[in-house]
Amino acid sequence: MTLRVWDLAHGRSGDKGDICNIGLIARDDAAYTTLCQQVTPERMHQHFGDMIKGDIERYELPNIRALNFVCKGALDGGGTLSLRSDHLGKVMYTWLLRMELDDE
Amino acid sequence: MNRVHQGETGMKSVKLGTGLAFWGDALRPAIDMVERADIQYLCCDHLAELTMSILNKQKARKSDLGYTTDIIPFLRGVLPKCHERGIKIISNAGGSNPEACTEQVMELCRELGLHGMKVATVTGDDILDRIDDLLADGEEFINTDTGQKMAEIRDKVTHANVYIGCDGIVEALEQGADIVICGRVTDAALYLGPMRHELGWAADDWQSLGAGTGVAHCIECGGQATGGLYSGGWHDMPRLASLGYPVTTVTENGEAILSKTPQSGGAVTVGTVSEQLVYEVLDPANYLTADVVADVSQIKLDQVGPDQVHIHNVKGKPAPATLKVNMGYRAGFVGEAQFTYTWPDAVKKAKAGLEFLNERLEQVDFQAEDTRVEYVGHNSMWGPEVVDPPDDPDLQEIVVRFAARCPTKEEARKVFTESVPLYNNGPAGASGIGTRPPIKELYGIWPCLIPRELITIKTTVREVQP
Repeated sequence: MTLRVWDLAHGRSGDKGDICNIGLIARDDAAYTTLCQQVTPERMHQHFGDMIKGDIERYELPNIRALNFVCKGALDGGGTLSLRSDHLGKVMYTWLLRMELDDE
Repeated sequence: MNRVHQGETGMKSVKLGTGLAFWGDALRPAIDMVERADIQYLCCDHLAELTMSILNKQKARKSDLGYTTDIIPFLRGVLPKCHERGIKIISNAGGSNPEACTEQVMELCRELGLHGMKVATVTGDDILDRIDDLLADGEEFINTDTGQKMAEIRDKVTHANVYIGCDGIVEALEQGADIVICGRVTDAALYLGPMRHELGWAADDWQSLGAGTGVAHCIECGGQATGGLYSGGWHDMPRLASLGYPVTTVTENGEAILSKTPQSGGAVTVGTVSEQLVYEVLDPANYLTADVVADVSQIKLDQVGPDQVHIHNVKGKPAPATLKVNMGYRAGFVGEAQFTYTWPDAVKKAKAGLEFLNERLEQVDFQAEDTRVEYVGHNSMWGPEVVDPPDDPDLQEIVVRFAARCPTKEEARKVFTESVPLYNNGPAGASGIGTRPPIKELYGIWPCLIPRELITIKTTVREVQP
């Protein structure tokens, strides 16, 4: 069976100008370890393709088993200018939840 | 009725309620809260990035507009109870016209017979009229995202408001204000103001201010901390339609217990608060505000009871030397059209319909800076960047959304006008075109900074007279 980020985490996303930040909350300690190992900015770039045009920074919040991804150039110019239906990036996190992981 | 709460630990504490989280938010949670929860303050955020552009446009049209008008029905719903129980209200509904907002609030107080109420106005955030002087004095307002100078948008600027901290709110509370009306203060300041006032934190007590700001961030989006939008288990969330908003007890050591209105829907769990904590945060170790740089990277959240989460281990660092400016500029208009095709050959017809629309737009010399095609129900949230257009020949139906960013309103209007003939001139079986949508004006946000010493906050307190 395919292992996806959704099997290990839940999340939320939002906007700050043309930046979309995506937070992931791991379901347990083992899941957090796997996410830290596998959900790298490089993997994110592959998964999001042209949807995220700028850099992706990853930050860790270990005590709540959370990762925060700051994605630049991710909202087609920013929430107030974007032609996207999801101009505020409210469901960007669900695209990350779909990302497939290596099942070790 | 200045109640100083003392917990079991003997520490001072203050109980804050989240009233509203954005312009247009539900009024019911706050009404339920002031009836059922023992709060001292009701804190209300009405402003988003885009809101200031809209408000300034309204003010330009009519000088007594420019505030978020939901403050009036909101206060009508909660004020009698707040007055009776001594609950103070902190709001940024003033938007780009706090003075006009205050007038309306005082008028409402008179109408409700609440004489003696003290209403404060906090101003100083609006620098629109100072831009040219500031530019002449050497301020450059360089775009912090792109590095560009603001000269290229100078003549299109619609608003310029500095995200100011909680100093004006603290001053108002010290002068005995019952209602504090602000403009573009930070969301966190709406909460940090009462914390500083009640808990005696100094303006440079970075550790306490950082901790308080972390708490404020958890609760400033209302229902998003209490089970709303909870991706970790929305299906188990009770009574979302009667969601309770955060009720938070902050102690003088900067720790807090986040709960919600008794007998309300939703839940407060480590999961619901964690999701809110990561919402709209950049570097969690450097959460910049006007009052302090908070460090939430090592935050701890513990479930200490049903619907009770203990927030602790948030740190603070000195406030930045510069304040963030929220500057907006006119950036054109959006024209949109939407239409639906059904089986047989839904996808083929949809693509033919799009060609029809594009050709007609060419015939009228349509000018657009950018266009976008999305298929609703298939890739409208993702776009062609990651999900190809549909190709299933047996699809029952497909909705096409076409949007264009245009330099003028006239160009934007062409999108709908040229899509209407799809009804009887285009490929077979078009439906769902709808009625003429309003043309949306676009505003760009120009993020930039200003040295804090150039901003002076002014607080005025007035009493409601018969």
